[in-house]
Amino acid sequence: MSVEPIVQIRDLTKVIGKKTIIDHLSFDVYPGEVFGFLGPNGAGKTTTIRMMVGLMDMTEGEVLIDGTSIKTNFEDAIVKVGAIVENPEMYKFLTGYQNLIHYSRMMKGITKDRIQEVIKLVGLEGRINDKVKGYSLGMRQRLGLAQALLHRPKLLILDEPTNGLDPAGIREIRQYLRTLAREENVAVIVSSHLLSEIELMCDRIGIIQAGKIVDVQRVNDFIQNDTAVMVAFDVDPLESAVKAVKDTYPDREIEPSDRKLMMKMEHEMIPEVTAFLVEKGIRIYGIQTSVKTLEDVFLEVTGGEQVV
Amino acid sequence: MSSIVRLIQNENMKIYRRPGTWVMIGLIIAAVLTAGIITNLSGSDESTDWRTNAQNTIQESEKILKDSAEGMPKAYKDSLKRDIALNEYRLDNNIPPLERGSIWSFMNNSTGIVVLISIFTIIIGAGIVAGEYSWGTIKLLLIRPASRTKILASKFIATLLFALFSLVILYISSFLIGGLLLGFESIDQPYLTYSNGEVTETSMALHFVIEYALASVDLLMMVTFAFMLSSIFRSSSLAIGLAIFLMFTGSQLTYILSQYDWVKYILFANTDLSVYFDGSPIVDSMTLGFSLVTLLVYLIVFLLLSWLLFTKRDVAA
Repeated sequence: MSVEPIVQIRDLTKVIGKKTIIDHLSFDVYPGEVFGFLGPNGAGKTTTIRMMVGLMDMTEGEVLIDGTSIKTNFEDAIVKVGAIVENPEMYKFLTGYQNLIHYSRMMKGITKDRIQEVIKLVGLEGRINDKVKGYSLGMRQRLGLAQALLHRPKLLILDEPTNGLDPAGIREIRQYLRTLAREENVAVIVSSHLLSEIELMCDRIGIIQAGKIVDVQRVNDFIQNDTAVMVAFDVDPLESAVKAVKDTYPDREIEPSDRKLMMKMEHEMIPEVTAFLVEKGIRIYGIQTSVKTLEDVFLEVTGGEQVV
Repeated sequence: MSSIVRLIQNENMKIYRRPGTWVMIGLIIAAVLTAGIITNLSGSDESTDWRTNAQNTIQESEKILKDSAEGMPKAYKDSLKRDIALNEYRLDNNIPPLERGSIWSFMNNSTGIVVLISIFTIIIGAGIVAGEYSWGTIKLLLIRPASRTKILASKFIATLLFALFSLVILYISSFLIGGLLLGFESIDQPYLTYSNGEVTETSMALHFVIEYALASVDLLMMVTFAFMLSSIFRSSSLAIGLAIFLMFTGSQLTYILSQYDWVKYILFANTDLSVYFDGSPIVDSMTLGFSLVTLLVYLIVFLLLSWLLFTKRDVAA
């Protein structure tokens, strides 16, 4: 990409006591993309986000927002960032509107019109003058998004943005984030443990494990980088089929299964193997290819550690 | 980038939009009203002659001074001397003492309610930083283009503004309630002060403004102390508990230790500045200037510690 990155993270390191929580993390995020930040619990996602927004000091390294350092020039850098860190906790004794007024007073040039615009954007018109106390988690999430968008940030950082939203709300947020990225050229960093979410929402993902970036890739590449797919033949009799295949294709990986012949092969090879099985007099009831999901890849990359 | 005035506005919104704050203000007025009604019902003690009372006090005090001058704490000795001087002046110039049930004696009593304001302001000051942590709102508060120093300053100023607001409410409400229930007749009575063996007359209204200001020194120190604890421990209950406990025990403690000279460096030996206008300090060598400097040093240390911990510390889960 020839575009200047909006976020540059360079050798970001956090040491607490003797423990290295974040270990020389480096990656870039570009304008107009939705970047998924993925990792098992305790991998350091939240710590990384906290350092990016200046809530935590970095032991080493640098975070540049649009070229401005968060460490040395906090106020100029943070003004370009809108964020929800963990749950969107608001002042419960204030109304939604008063909460937005509160945050708007902390930044320059936010008009009453802009506040109304953002309220409409997140769909809170009906309840904005109610106390936050009575909001559902979904409504708090929307209000959280509203406060993050007030000042038209160039970078939006969202921690688990779909948490607590109903399916319709999730789809709405997803579409909204995509629109924001595409039309306003905002960079969005989304952290999530829901792989399916990330798969649907993000252009690129970075996988973090034990404080290190394991992999950064485009979502599509991520899933399709392996050309060989697992193919399942529903055959009868199974045993002779397995034996015949083993004899003819000794290099192929055959997964043991009681009901089907499971074999890894390139897409183009499927007709050939089918013809071979038919030739051997084996009856074929079905052929299925299983495309790897992000989840499979994720488990592979992180060594099968539990995600949630 | 964001101006401190707008940050203070925010803090004020967070203080006064909570019903608890108005309960506190209501309690202050209720306390004044209750005191007013009780004073009104019990009536004034016109039956006793103040002149005989004054003479009795003088005689008793002189007797005690003569009989047991040795081993008597200095503070006590001074207060006896003061009683004698004031009563003699009253007799000479025909100025009766504050009558029970007059507006000024009522206002004099209501300065006691400043303690209530201290407690309430400690509660506000202890919660203003710790609350953001317990609500979880600290994360969204600190990711704005406002430095932590400014945010902390706005919180401290908002706490002091609450104290000032409460004091004004107390002053006005006790003047009005006192006047309405007990009458405004004695309003031009002068106030007598005693210092360095001399008795002087001043305006009563001004006297009470000074009285409030002096009573607020303790308030300021304890509130700043609570504010510091709140920033250090991020727990409002600990800050409230410790600050209120010290507020009530601190002066007793210094009184017990008053035989030692180093006691003058203890915060509580310096919080009662009225001794320099009206009485004598706990340790002889103490002066108003000494106390002011000591208080200032404590104040700076408290604020510096709050600032260091608030600005340098990571906001972790």
